[in-house]
Amino acid sequence: MPGKMIYLDYAASTPVDSRVLDRMREVAELNCANPSSTHAAGREAQAIIAEAAAQLAELLNVSPGSLIWTSGATESDNLAIAGGARHRTHRGKHLVTMKTEHKAVTDVFEALAKQGFDVTWVDAGADGLLCPDSFAAALRDDTQFASIMYVNNETGVIQDIEALGTICRERDVLFHVDAAQAVGKLPIDLGNLPVDLLSLTGHKFYGPKGIGALYIADRAGCHVEPILYGGGQQRSIRPGTLPTDLIAGLGMAAAVAATRIEPDLAHLRALRQLLWEGIRCVDGIRLNGDPGGFPGILNVSVEDIDGESLLLALEPLLVATGSACNSKTGEPSYVLRALGLGDDQAQSAIRFSLGRPTTRDEVEFAAARYRDAVAHLRKLAPDRAA
Amino acid sequence: MSADPYNRKVRDSFAAPPHAGELAGGIDARVDAGDLRVEFAATLEDGRIAALRFRARGCPHVIAAAEWVCDYYEGKPAEALEVFPIARIMEDLAVPTEKTGRILVLEDAIQSLGRRLKH
Repeated sequence: MPGKMIYLDYAASTPVDSRVLDRMREVAELNCANPSSTHAAGREAQAIIAEAAAQLAELLNVSPGSLIWTSGATESDNLAIAGGARHRTHRGKHLVTMKTEHKAVTDVFEALAKQGFDVTWVDAGADGLLCPDSFAAALRDDTQFASIMYVNNETGVIQDIEALGTICRERDVLFHVDAAQAVGKLPIDLGNLPVDLLSLTGHKFYGPKGIGALYIADRAGCHVEPILYGGGQQRSIRPGTLPTDLIAGLGMAAAVAATRIEPDLAHLRALRQLLWEGIRCVDGIRLNGDPGGFPGILNVSVEDIDGESLLLALEPLLVATGSACNSKTGEPSYVLRALGLGDDQAQSAIRFSLGRPTTRDEVEFAAARYRDAVAHLRKLAPDRAA
Repeated sequence: MSADPYNRKVRDSFAAPPHAGELAGGIDARVDAGDLRVEFAATLEDGRIAALRFRARGCPHVIAAAEWVCDYYEGKPAEALEVFPIARIMEDLAVPTEKTGRILVLEDAIQSLGRRLKH
């Protein structure tokens, strides 16, 4: 197997499913019209988009009209948080989120804080889980908006969205969930979850990049102000010409996911267990985050190993040292540091993320590679204490 | 595709550095700088460096540079350790400028070794 790249970075992005590709190609060849056009081809594009909305709506158990198309989760998060908080200033200016959220969330809250909003950053426990009581304690009379991610992109930790959402409903707090790592991978029934806004993106569940959606619950007071202007599409909440082929691809990815979630989860659970059993013997290793998290992610640190060297020694494995969105900074993961890891532990962290195409052979090879890489680097290094 | 951060010399030296390891009977010098640790050990014959070995904990460029340094000084007079060819190392290994400080830690270790060899 040496020489062949082994992709274990499915939390960063997934390959496009062949059925999705087929659908996108079919739509791109069939229809070049602007979906806003009123002529026959434009109406046909609208019908294609409506079909995709129905597919995604069925996956989430919502009405198609509650979905707003965006360019991806970052835009959905921005629209939900900035748009939601600005819409609800009559309720107050206090907002609540977590320290371990994705940058697409934390950066928006930081921007809002500079604009006069008051943000409370709640802590996760050492396992990455947010205690609902701690969350409730952070809410104030003037709290108007909260955002908590479903599945953490670095650790796979799954938050208790039902409990947190129930607290928000009781306190009249608009509740947004960044579900970029959850949609299409975990069963999500928004018809029965107390969630007001939910962000998703296609490329995390075998759909195309460049297309996502924001779910906006159809209930009184649940609305967002636009952050983009022009054109009037999508009720002016998110104007702009809709990319028919990408939307059709996202719809098909949702339709495929609807039939694959349970078998995918069983597949990932078995592979994650195999991987962890294969590397847990390494001296000084620790599993980061709640062991009962999303089985597609395994985040581990190891004592006294340089993270950059570990990443190179792991080739041909394609894994992540932090989330793909901030790994270029070279800084230890702020998510892991928020869980109490020291710089040394956070800096050596490796995120293995597994996917639908991952095989047992690949996982067994990865485990062996990890053991060998750590042994190689320890052999090169002088003892800790001179 | 963005450029590979490691050139062929770095990759080869990182994967199998011939000068890595301990040196029985050698005189050693070590520098710890945060997460970076480097140790050199040398033996002398007729005033020349007969063998030079390293052990290092650091990024791939540091490990490759330690290997480069060993290969460079072996066979040279001990006094040669007083001059550290940092510009050649940076160029040969295409070390990013932001890592200059890490390579300077190697220089500290080599100069420390030079002082110890004098005594």
